[in-house]
Amino acid sequence: MSFFDGLKFRRVDSAVHLMDPRVKFFYVLAIFVIAILFHELIPLIILFLVQIPLVILARVKREWLRSLRGAAFLATVIFGTNLLFRFIYGGYSLIPSDVEHASAMTLRFLVLVESFSIFFLTTSPDHLGLALEQSHIPYEFCFAFTTAVRFVPVLAEEAQTIMDAQKARGLELEKGNFLKRIRNYIPILIPLIISAIRRSLELAEAMESRAWGAIQKRTNLYVLGLKATDYSMILISSLILVIGVYIRFSISIPSFST
Amino acid sequence: MAIIRTKGLTYTYPVATKPAVDGVSITIEKGEFAVLTGPSGCGKTTLCRCFNGLIPHFYRGDLRGQLQVTGLDVKETPIHELALHVGLVFQNPENQLFALSVEKDVAFGLENLGMPRNEMQKQVDYALETSGISHLRLKAPHELSGGQQQRVAIAGIIAMQPEVMVLDEPTSFLDPLGAEKIFKVVRALNQEHHMTVILVEHRLDLAARYADHVIVMDRGKVILDGEPKDVLSSEKARLIGVGIPKVTLLYQQLAEVGLLKTNEVPLSSEEITALLRGVLND
Repeated sequence: MSFFDGLKFRRVDSAVHLMDPRVKFFYVLAIFVIAILFHELIPLIILFLVQIPLVILARVKREWLRSLRGAAFLATVIFGTNLLFRFIYGGYSLIPSDVEHASAMTLRFLVLVESFSIFFLTTSPDHLGLALEQSHIPYEFCFAFTTAVRFVPVLAEEAQTIMDAQKARGLELEKGNFLKRIRNYIPILIPLIISAIRRSLELAEAMESRAWGAIQKRTNLYVLGLKATDYSMILISSLILVIGVYIRFSISIPSFST
Repeated sequence: MAIIRTKGLTYTYPVATKPAVDGVSITIEKGEFAVLTGPSGCGKTTLCRCFNGLIPHFYRGDLRGQLQVTGLDVKETPIHELALHVGLVFQNPENQLFALSVEKDVAFGLENLGMPRNEMQKQVDYALETSGISHLRLKAPHELSGGQQQRVAIAGIIAMQPEVMVLDEPTSFLDPLGAEKIFKVVRALNQEHHMTVILVEHRLDLAARYADHVIVMDRGKVILDGEPKDVLSSEKARLIGVGIPKVTLLYQQLAEVGLLKTNEVPLSSEEITALLRGVLND
């Protein structure tokens, strides 16, 4: 759960939080592309460090660290497999550049986690839904998305209640082998699903009562607009993209091990 | 002037064999505060769904008899048009909020109607103000208590400015303090904004004092319909199991033993205090 905690939005009053989600998404894409372009350690280190000021500006340092900690397990796996394959293909021996390569692959993963975590930590689901809407995605889908996000804490609480109720009736969740443990969750899933269906019916009633579908072109309380910070963010992302591509194709990158 | 009028209204849910509402003929006047009560499963919720067109448009089933709301024939009017005239607040506050902030949720109905933004902003402010939740405008629904959530739901209806507000057991998930706040908001809407209110409620201890009109249902039929004092002091209401206010019951017992001999049936603690003071001073 800790990994997802590291992605959970919390309202903070910062410039990054106020940015248009589309702009932030462009930033994530730019980082993504550059991270995929490089497999050397030094540029990836730079890419990792470049993002830290943004984290500080957004004042989400603690949550961001938590998301990195949550990714640590996967990062270790990536490091291990990379090293193992290098080991096998290198004739059952390791040279320093193998370690460097494995580290680079791990860091690439961390860079991606870092940028996604910045995106999700600073973007309210409401804004995200709005961004989807303004990107001409049909309103029904955007509504389904925001409603799903809206009901995550509600369903989580309900799952906990059902779990407690079933435990009180003698259900032992932690007992048995792997398959048995999965089966243990059936008495929790069924009531959860049934109550979710009932809930959705009530929700539909409430929507109808609030004039859902009255007209084709509905309006919106909030409208996203690009501000100065958004433009500077677009500029920064574009710079990262251009410089990254330029370095990739015209400068040879030094490495630690050669 | 009648704002809601039904005549021989009978409705059967699609798979049911027995009608949930059976031959109901009632009239609600404009500006009235009507309380609808009766034991669970007596058809109160079904009747509420008829008022804003969820029945028959959403639930289908078989609707017979006459049903006119704000001059519109419910059978012929789509729900989204009725929503402009009749607002419905549901029992479970959690399941009627959709957005991730209070403000946005209150605006939901207006957005659906395609209201321009600046006008919408004004309406939202007005609704938040009226229901006393302006300070919660940026909160997410799951950060609110049940009572606050219910007030958001009410604000969502206020924003659309319907003539009639129907509240279906709005306080059954709430603690007494939360319930009282809801009643205060509803009372203000009725008194200051002249909105017609239909409140479905079991707990009449708090609600009865505000009512102009009480309707008691049992097994789909209207059993009693009239002035609160007459209805709540009747033997019939007690036998059906209506949650008659404790002060009214106390009054009845005191009248039985001859301590109180008045026809002024009290509905609130203030009223009975006045009565007792009168007797003690004599």
